[in-house]
Amino acid sequence: MKRTATYAAAAIAAVVLAVLPAFLGAYPLNVARSVMTYMALAVSWDMLLRSGQISFGIAGLFGLGSYASALLVLRAGMDPVLSLVFATLLTGAIAYALGFAVLRLRAMYFSITTLALAEIFRIVLHNLHDFSGGPEGVVLPGVIFGGAAPALYWLCLAGLAITLGTSWYFERSKLHLALTAIRNDETSARASGVDIFKYLLVAFTVTSTLQGMMGAIQVQSYGFTTPETAFDANFTLLPLAMALLGGIHSTLGPIAGAVLLGIASEWLKLKIPYGHLVVYGIIIVLVILLMPRGLVGLARNRRAGRRA
Amino acid sequence: MANKRNRTAGLVLAAAVLGILVWRPTVLIYGLQAAGLYASIAIPMGLILGIVHIVNLAHGEFMMAASYLTYTICRASGMDPYLALLPVAAVTAAFGFLVYRLTIRRALKAPELNQLILTFGLAILLTQAANLLFTSQTRKLSFEYVSASVDIGDLSFGVYNFVFVAIAVAMVVGLRLFLTRTKAGKAALAVGQNPRGAAIVGIDVDRAYALTFALASAMVGLMGAVFITRSSIFPAVGSPFTMKSFCLIAMAGIGNIPGILASSVLLGVSENFLKAFRGTREWADIVFFVLIISVILGRSIRGKKA
Amino acid sequence: MKTLQTEHLTKRFLGLVAVNDVSFSLDAGEILGIIGPNGAGKTTFIHLVSGILMPTSGKVLFKGRDVSYAPAHERARMGIARTFQLIHPLENLTVLENVMIGAVFSRRQSLREARRSAEGICESLQLGDLGRDTASLSILEIKKMEIARALANGPEVLFLDEVMAGLNADETRQMISMVKAIAKERGLAVGVVEHVMGVIRELTERVIVLESGELIAEGPYSEVSKNPRVIEAYLGGAA
Repeated sequence: MKRTATYAAAAIAAVVLAVLPAFLGAYPLNVARSVMTYMALAVSWDMLLRSGQISFGIAGLFGLGSYASALLVLRAGMDPVLSLVFATLLTGAIAYALGFAVLRLRAMYFSITTLALAEIFRIVLHNLHDFSGGPEGVVLPGVIFGGAAPALYWLCLAGLAITLGTSWYFERSKLHLALTAIRNDETSARASGVDIFKYLLVAFTVTSTLQGMMGAIQVQSYGFTTPETAFDANFTLLPLAMALLGGIHSTLGPIAGAVLLGIASEWLKLKIPYGHLVVYGIIIVLVILLMPRGLVGLARNRRAGRRA
Repeated sequence: MANKRNRTAGLVLAAAVLGILVWRPTVLIYGLQAAGLYASIAIPMGLILGIVHIVNLAHGEFMMAASYLTYTICRASGMDPYLALLPVAAVTAAFGFLVYRLTIRRALKAPELNQLILTFGLAILLTQAANLLFTSQTRKLSFEYVSASVDIGDLSFGVYNFVFVAIAVAMVVGLRLFLTRTKAGKAALAVGQNPRGAAIVGIDVDRAYALTFALASAMVGLMGAVFITRSSIFPAVGSPFTMKSFCLIAMAGIGNIPGILASSVLLGVSENFLKAFRGTREWADIVFFVLIISVILGRSIRGKKA
Repeated sequence: MKTLQTEHLTKRFLGLVAVNDVSFSLDAGEILGIIGPNGAGKTTFIHLVSGILMPTSGKVLFKGRDVSYAPAHERARMGIARTFQLIHPLENLTVLENVMIGAVFSRRQSLREARRSAEGICESLQLGDLGRDTASLSILEIKKMEIARALANGPEVLFLDEVMAGLNADETRQMISMVKAIAKERGLAVGVVEHVMGVIRELTERVIVLESGELIAEGPYSEVSKNPRVIEAYLGGAA
């Protein structure tokens, strides 16, 4: 009964989102794309967090996906749509290889290393002038789908749908048991037969792939990028704040957080051009101290309280 | 164990340093100066990590805030930053104390995840507050003494930045005296090694943490005041130092404060080594990160085996 | 061929020898007591056998096969299960999900099969209301869940690390008969670490005694408890 209601709600939301371009102009669609991108990043960040690993490297993988897609078009003459697929897979392959080293680290060592990796990617692409365009970045011959606003919107929506579907699968398959067991206590997880490294590698590779995919979609939708825009720290910061506010360790939490903060930030950007992000800092600090389980956790507590 | 490692690292470094001294003295001179800067920012963070066992991801931002405070004071009064040094350090100490009381203390018992994200949030808050108050435009104070230089034969180099080396050494010596000679310092050290044991013998753990946080904040505040004498500042100026500081501490090993000097020399000199060639100049940053990642990885793998 | 055997098993931590040259064997259907004063190396010994720690030297043989350096999750799959002394019930999972983990990852069952086998195990341990959060469990329930988690691996060897600690007399009696029944029904080889000697006397046919990592005595409890070395070890440990 409850599950049917959830499916119905998801179906209605999907239909509404899909037909939105028929009613909205270019600017609201643009805002919607930005919110959807951050939402996908927030959900993917949370998926790895369910294993207890905090990544500060979202921007790194996002930027990697952006550059991979742009360079495949520019240097290999690949079709933009095809480049999305290959850039996504390439980011995944790089993450998989890096995973063998990075996933031996835990806690703060893991977090800081992911942050450093993002920085390395940025510097490499910044310095490889001939290959990546250096600090000036790259300009594509054109925007994908001729830059038609509804098409770009649908492309971004597709990326989001893939991310949400993957997260949904994570929650309902044995990955959920494995990742939660690892987060709670690695030793007892091992004693129950969980191959910790394997599941961490799966989670790290999959979430990095999704982040790379969103980066690829972003660059093809704007037609240009630079090291500073592709690896912008906001691509790490905003998703993190969104997931925290909404509630971590679930799909629903980051979605709720992204809708709230995504729309709020568009509004704040207009009101306070410099430093509107201070709000994000305040939210992160307050949420961690006062409601570490986020809005979704708060709602769940309230419902549990009413039932009791 | 740590002593032996320090000695071996010291010997290797000394040999490398000697070689470079003969071959290209400026690499060594500027390398040591950079090392002094890195070390004196990393040491307060190492103090917090060693005793409170918290990574303060807002560490560089504390320094940035202190730099802006110094800038404001000196701009308004025409004072030299060195005169503003003590008041600024007092203000940041109070600030660190407050941050500890209001935020960190509440997260001490929470999972490490919460602590990391909390201090990350503090970093964003400070950076963006600076953005809000001062915009992202760079600010600078200029002083003549900064460009003091020395000529030896054909060699000419700036000497002002040696002040950082002096500060770093003073910090190591001062901390050592504080932690081994004073009552508060001994208590803090005991808390750092075994909080539960320290509590049992009657040490106020919370007070030791608060004191450590305030002291480290004072040190980094002092660095903020000195930092602006030679560098322009902007809201994000502190964040690379947060990461670099953590990496230097990880290289030295948590709790090994003199080791931070050695790891800083290694980094400062190798960065300046790369900067000495036109072809590799812009790769200086990356070699730094690669070095650090390999050290962290090597350490964690070795740690697992032990 | 013994179900589980160690040969000259040794573990050093930076100069400290936690387990020193221990050779023992354990057979199907047998309940063995592992006793010794605090810090004797009992838990380290179980860590070595279950693969949480790797030995410095010596061997662990499972049904004649050398598993000394096999990772813990592989040993769990082969049939070596254990409980933990300091219990960290997996907080964000329900009781049922906690027990399912072993079935899913050690026995490679699908979620549906795992659910069914976990329910069966919990029922046999009289562990009810499986949808509960683990935070609300009593000590007895937590201990039962630990055993259920281990049984979900489908083990042939089961090590229980102080599962009676913190239980009252009634609960202890209940647990003793439960462990006996499980061992018999499933034909398990069981190793029990326990501090309460009454439990060891009632539960086990044979004990091994560790002191400072060394095996100092072996035999039925009634004999071992009269061994002067054992008495000295305990008195020395208490002093």
